Amino acid sequence: VRFKRRRGAVQAKLDDVEAAVLASLVGELLELLDAGGAAPEQDPLADLVGMPSGDGTRPQDPGLARLFPDAYSGDTPEAEVAAREFRRYTEADLRAGKRANAAAVRAALAPVEDSGGTVVLDREQVDAWLGCLNDLRLVLGTRLEVTEDTDLHPSGDDPRAQALHVYGWLGWLQESLLGTIDPLTRDG
Amino acid sequence: VTAPAELDRPETDETTTPDRPWVTIVWNDPINLMSYVTHVLMELFGYSRSKAHALMLDVHYKGRAVVSSGTREQMEHDVARCHAKGLWATLQQD
Repeated sequence: VRFKRRRGAVQAKLDDVEAAVLASLVGELLELLDAGGAAPEQDPLADLVGMPSGDGTRPQDPGLARLFPDAYSGDTPEAEVAAREFRRYTEADLRAGKRANAAAVRAALAPVEDSGGTVVLDREQVDAWLGCLNDLRLVLGTRLEVTEDTDLHPSGDDPRAQALHVYGWLGWLQESLLGTIDPLTRDG
Repeated sequence: VTAPAELDRPETDETTTPDRPWVTIVWNDPINLMSYVTHVLMELFGYSRSKAHALMLDVHYKGRAVVSSGTREQMEHDVARCHAKGLWATLQQD
């Protein structure tokens, strides 16, 4: 699979396995984003008036903690207090944005997830896909504890082999999508 | 009867000098693609490709780079925008 630009839109042909794997990962991401922490739609009044929500504690799940890192540097008590306040004011919005990206990807995949097919994305959908693919890689990569030296193609008896393969594939997919919006990024 | 509620938000600025600017720092991580980091820095901060690319290389090789500076409120906004894109960013007073 590879994203290409065609007639002002971006498209990719996914086979049945690719579409099913991606749809399943996006479903898991949506579940993760809904777990713990206040969902803004559950408290529309608080959302409307920009009230803080949640208690500002760091998510327990390492993947979620990577999606919503502490905002203040340093181990000082002041930084901890400030990071907690930051969470209370921003995390619901951040979650909502990531959820919207994932939902857009899920919607685009719905027609193709059973037997594969071509997804066609406009510019707004491209941004949603880029963000969602990145969130998937952050969660998966954090769980797999990848480093810059991790071999993404280990031998088959490595219990992480399949997950690392999927992780590598997501990176390739994201890189190919990036290439359709600014081809020069490949220089980076 | 009631009384005006106190501001919920702590005034943690009290002990710091107001003229020292705050900065947004992006930290290296092993997951984000180099091309994606460059793309996000261009998109969020309006940097040229060469400037964004140089900042990304600082992140990659030096472990961190200052990507913007300003008031604390501005930097909180920038950090939130970085987190929305998946970059590992923090703010601190310079």
